[in-house]
Amino acid sequence: MMANAWQQYRALVSQGVRAELADLERLVSPVLFAITLLLLFAFAMGDVDDSLRIRVYLAETMLTALFALQVSFARLFEPDRQDRVFDLLRTYPVSHTALFLAKYSLILILGTATMIPTLVFGAFLNQTANQHLFSWSVVGISLLALAGLGALGVLLSAMTLKANARQILYPLLYFPLTAPVLLAAVQSSRLCLDGGRAASDIKAWLGLLLGFDCIYVTLGILLFTELVDES
Amino acid sequence: MLAITNLSFSFQHRRLFDRLSLTANSGELIHISGPNGVGKSTFMAVVAGLLAPASGDIEYRIGHQSVPDRRAYLEYLPAEANGLYTKMDATQNLLFWAHLRGVPLSREAAFAALDPWNLNHPLLRDGFPVEKFSTGMKRRLALARLDLSPVPGWLLDEPLYGLDADAMRVFRQRLETHLRKGGFALLISHDLAPLNGLITRTINLSRGVKHDG
Amino acid sequence: MFSVEDKREFYAGALLQFLVLAHWLGAFYYAPVDIHQGQVYRIMFLHVPCAITAFASSLGLCIFSIIGLRQRSESVMAWAKATAEVGLLFTILTLATGSIWGRPTWGTWWTWDARLTTTFLLALLYAGYLLLHASMPAGPGRVRVCAVLGILIFADVPVIYKSVTWWRTLHQPPSIIREGGSTMDPEILWTIVVGIVIMCLYSSWMVRVRGRNILLTGQLEAASFEQLNG
Repeated sequence: MMANAWQQYRALVSQGVRAELADLERLVSPVLFAITLLLLFAFAMGDVDDSLRIRVYLAETMLTALFALQVSFARLFEPDRQDRVFDLLRTYPVSHTALFLAKYSLILILGTATMIPTLVFGAFLNQTANQHLFSWSVVGISLLALAGLGALGVLLSAMTLKANARQILYPLLYFPLTAPVLLAAVQSSRLCLDGGRAASDIKAWLGLLLGFDCIYVTLGILLFTELVDES
Repeated sequence: MLAITNLSFSFQHRRLFDRLSLTANSGELIHISGPNGVGKSTFMAVVAGLLAPASGDIEYRIGHQSVPDRRAYLEYLPAEANGLYTKMDATQNLLFWAHLRGVPLSREAAFAALDPWNLNHPLLRDGFPVEKFSTGMKRRLALARLDLSPVPGWLLDEPLYGLDADAMRVFRQRLETHLRKGGFALLISHDLAPLNGLITRTINLSRGVKHDG
Repeated sequence: MFSVEDKREFYAGALLQFLVLAHWLGAFYYAPVDIHQGQVYRIMFLHVPCAITAFASSLGLCIFSIIGLRQRSESVMAWAKATAEVGLLFTILTLATGSIWGRPTWGTWWTWDARLTTTFLLALLYAGYLLLHASMPAGPGRVRVCAVLGILIFADVPVIYKSVTWWRTLHQPPSIIREGGSTMDPEILWTIVVGIVIMCLYSSWMVRVRGRNILLTGQLEAASFEQLNG
């Protein structure tokens, strides 16, 4: 008996969401980590001139989000690593694309749950009487960045599944590979918040983000199957 | 039927088994034997599709036609793990694995499947994470999952591990039913007494080149 | 003791070493003095070939990775690992020579230039690749995982480069580096082109020696296992 890819995808996603809800600490801890980091950043920065406010906000928040996402991504396969669930998954006739897309969807859900509170709290900490920093376009840009980061996150999680030094390897690979996303997200958000700047510049950065997303989602679908196939 | 031809596997320069051939027909319970470290569990993992063999073929055939993905006809039970989501309860585990195979399963049907394994208690089946189960209970749940699956081939690696006398009797009875309905099973077990009389064939992995029979 | 292949490899290496030295002599005596930078610009003849080799290695890594994935072959991945090691070496050389060059010309050891940043990230990625390789047990699993990373690295390098270029050009035009272009003396151009060719050959030779070394280590291990098992 074999389910079609859509049924498998649904089963995998709903199971993934349930596994997260069953273990709420896992869901909440990246957010707490992000809030702690934001506080520390605020301490380290001290009082900042208003003209630099936007820059500082974006630098702190995006960097924090990148760190917090790494924490959340690195544990993507943790429920499946216990009791050899992942191996059992591999003995089922599961479409690898369905498995990738299910994990990708899950990472997007987890990532959004981390990203939005980070942005809100970052804006809250950095706001001043005459500057409200929270902006929906920044949220949009962050979600666009998340789309690419997530695909990379699934790949790296699957890659480090069997590596000994998983804890340290994951960030070592994740941060250099995601440097362009950080740059593009910070720069395009800054142009958005500054207002009145050349729209073509924003477009260029968004194009880069979109290009990154396309490359990584494609590579993810193509390469993920190599990582879960019999070895 | 499951047809294994000239299967070889080596791990880190060590040849574990060499040109092993074996056919499992419906109704057969084949015992894979041999001393520790000879590669019994590895053999199961290769058949289950976790490890790629160095050479040889594993096919599941219907008539003379080989199916594209043999995993759709096999269910694997590893030796030292049960493949259960430890934070989820028993029912959710059963439902997930059934849905992944495309088997429509209601909660009531899942409860019914837990019944013979003595797990169909309102306090055990629902909202009680599997990580709090004892070793034997986890094994029983894994066997319930296996039994629920509509596939003909069972790959059992030490299925009796952790089971008490009652559960062993239930397992024997379910296995008998499975074989009678036309299923087959490959089995690794160091304790054969509870399965006395069911085994149709024994394959010893420790003897050089192995052939069918 | 030495096989024909060993000898051939040794002579090829000696010849390449000689070519590298000859090129350095050319860089010092054949190429004219630069009007703006004086003698110090001559480090470019080491720096640019190293940089190109470092980036070419990522292409090599990607090609070996794709072949390794296709053929499921551990020996191809030995070549990939050798490429990553050589790539890391040349990336570090590029960063070092770039820094040394930057000190007198820009007045600082480091600047946030697109090429520098990209090279730095490339060095981190090579190091990550080697660490991942070291942290996994040998076998088909490692072949897959390392090959996937090899492809990811190659896919990421242009994106990194693009992003860093934009980052700089958008709010501060790159005025410090004055490289390439039609203003270059033909003597300088030739010296550099020859240098690039020699450095690429030299690095291929290094990959070959190191790759064979890795393969031999594997064979040695296999042989000792066979002895152990009788």
